[in-house]
Amino acid sequence: MFIQIRDLHFKYPNASDFTIDAFNLTINKGDITTILGESGSGKSSLLRLIAGLEIPTKGTFMVGDDCMCSPSKFVQPEKRDIGMVFQDYALFPHMTVEENIMFGLVKWSRKEKKERLKDVLELIDLNGYEKRYPYELSGGQQQRVALARALAPNPKLLLFDEPFSNLDADLQIRIREELRTILKTTGVTSIFVTHDQEDAQAIADRIVILRKGKITATGTPDEIFNTDCDITKRLPIKPRVLSRL
Amino acid sequence: MKSSINGWMIFSFVFIILIILPNISIILQFFHESNDNWAHIKEYMLNTYIMNSSLLVLVVGLLTAIIGSSLAWLISAYDFPLRGFFQWGMILPLAIPPYIGAYTYHGILNYTGVIQTTLRNQFDVTVNQQFFNIMNMPGAIFIFVICLYPYVFTITKAFLARQSTSLIENARLLGSGSWRIYFKIVLPIARASIVAGVSLVILEVLNDYGVVKYFGIQTFTTAIFQTWFGFGDLNSAIKLSGSLMFIILGLLLLERLLRGRKRFSFTTTKVKLLQPIALKGRKKWLAFGYCMFIFAIAFIIPFIQLMAWAVLTYNQLFSQEFLTIIRNTVFVAFVAATVITIMAVVISNFSRLHRGLMAKLFPKVTILGYSIPGAVIAVGIVTLVTGIDAKIYQWGWVSSYILSTSIFMLVFAYIIRYLAVAYNSVDAGFERIGTKFTEASRMLGNNVTQSFFKVDIKMIRGAIFSGFILAFIDILKELPLTLILRPFNFETLATNAFTYATNEMIHEAAIPSILIIIISAVSIYVFHYVLERV
Repeated sequence: MFIQIRDLHFKYPNASDFTIDAFNLTINKGDITTILGESGSGKSSLLRLIAGLEIPTKGTFMVGDDCMCSPSKFVQPEKRDIGMVFQDYALFPHMTVEENIMFGLVKWSRKEKKERLKDVLELIDLNGYEKRYPYELSGGQQQRVALARALAPNPKLLLFDEPFSNLDADLQIRIREELRTILKTTGVTSIFVTHDQEDAQAIADRIVILRKGKITATGTPDEIFNTDCDITKRLPIKPRVLSRL
Repeated sequence: MKSSINGWMIFSFVFIILIILPNISIILQFFHESNDNWAHIKEYMLNTYIMNSSLLVLVVGLLTAIIGSSLAWLISAYDFPLRGFFQWGMILPLAIPPYIGAYTYHGILNYTGVIQTTLRNQFDVTVNQQFFNIMNMPGAIFIFVICLYPYVFTITKAFLARQSTSLIENARLLGSGSWRIYFKIVLPIARASIVAGVSLVILEVLNDYGVVKYFGIQTFTTAIFQTWFGFGDLNSAIKLSGSLMFIILGLLLLERLLRGRKRFSFTTTKVKLLQPIALKGRKKWLAFGYCMFIFAIAFIIPFIQLMAWAVLTYNQLFSQEFLTIIRNTVFVAFVAATVITIMAVVISNFSRLHRGLMAKLFPKVTILGYSIPGAVIAVGIVTLVTGIDAKIYQWGWVSSYILSTSIFMLVFAYIIRYLAVAYNSVDAGFERIGTKFTEASRMLGNNVTQSFFKVDIKMIRGAIFSGFILAFIDILKELPLTLILRPFNFETLATNAFTYATNEMIHEAAIPSILIIIISAVSIYVFHYVLERV
């Protein structure tokens, strides 16, 4: 297994309950995993723990053979080789598209940087936008630049925090299909966090349902959204298929 | 986001210790055995100090609350002639430090002043001096009110613009008249900001030395100066400082209580400005007259008088001595403001990126320095620094007391007192950008320090610059600390103006005063007019 999370616990200071409670998860290399949960389920905290932006109370987390955190070790986020696409993208407003994308290529040579820039711009289909500033781009374009910036340093794992929540419905459907294609082309392992079942269904190889910091169900989209399946009863939100009946 | 111990934490910790040390030094010595002087002071004088200081604080607090909040409401909610100008013009009196206001008004009103001379020479009227004597308690109150009401005005106006639009519009739709809205809606919801403004006013009043000294009113600050330099009794000065510190801590607690649990701040970040109603006829001129009257007595009249005096003494401007004074002032303010800004950035960046007790406590300590009057800080620093100096001297590294005879003490004192000014500005900048950009930068392989230089600092440089300028201006005007802690023969614009004024050379005081006012006024203009529009 490429990603292994074992017995992960997390509690905010002064909180009485664990935000993440005994969380276990393994992910195959190249898989797209979606963590589906309502707001307050702990899904964003989980993502921040994986990124290294929060320190877990307990538990271990491995990427490949590298231990990212264990009782005796904690790797800082900048040393983890993990990329992240933020909910509102967090594109640096004072840098151009080009500067944003090359920002993470710290130790690369000039030539390598230029080549990588060209590659990822091609991937997200934004050639010719190098010199634009984030505010000169549409929401969908900003989203793609954020993806390109996270992909550029070739991370081992890519994290997405509600990546579609700021897009309107039309764009959302188009972009998530596009995104799945891009991710499958690059073969990067990724974890999505979302509260939207349709997003989860459209993009994931595997879905994990999180409720109050605990996993209540896991499976392929088919397994999860098969209404006869027992798991559905434990869904935080009723599947849209059901409500339409 | 957090991590174990890092440079930001270590530096913040050291800075905070530096800020606390002088205060601790006072508190420790406060409980030392007292001498005969202190018994005398306690028996015969302490009551007067407490009475005078309390009277000043109470009346000035009340009057600035009324004037500041009413002006803020009038200018936010109604349209009348020159409203656009008054929006920032009403803040301008803040450019006149109270001690300058004090001797200017005394100069206008006294026997040889412009009013009495005109009455005597043109109309052959000799007035009863009693009615023209401003050098008393009511006079001091008048000076403080006209110089300090802008604190209440600015904070309340910003609150009204930001927070209350929907409430006020609703009240209007429900048929409330303007007086009813003012008393039933504006005053209650703006209570927290009015209290915040008034507490700044009170801290300034307690900090003041220039006005009360010039007018001969015995307060805590003058008493500290007098026991220390008049009687040469540092021990009693420390006792007085300690008492004042406890009073101020009590006031700060009271402010907390008055502000109440409810902060009345809404979560919305959308700023919807109140649509001002155009006033007509008599009301229009009444509103204009009220604003113009306050503006005239608080700014125009003293400014014109100072200009007139400056014309008589402008030669002074070109003297070598005066150039040295300007150079001193700018140099010391620049050095202190630079150190302050760096410290503010470090502490603010540390506390926003970390959780836990230290991260919560540090900002509070940082801001505390601003509440402590200059004279008290001076006492704390002198006792601390001379102690350190004696140690260094003992070790034989240097041939004299190196720290207490240089500008080190003065800069140190400025830092403690004005760190809060820059900190608030920097912190607001950080708050606006949040932590997501830093996090994004860290996810792209940069550590906290690299992220700070590549991303954060570029996004908050406006806030950092504002913090620097605000601290710079405050230091430029500062009087009590500078008077006590400056090295021998070291004059700043503020001490220069004050020394002239206390020596009854009021015309000569005009040039340094005008310089201080112009620099302050320009920065106020830039902050409240230019920056608010961008």
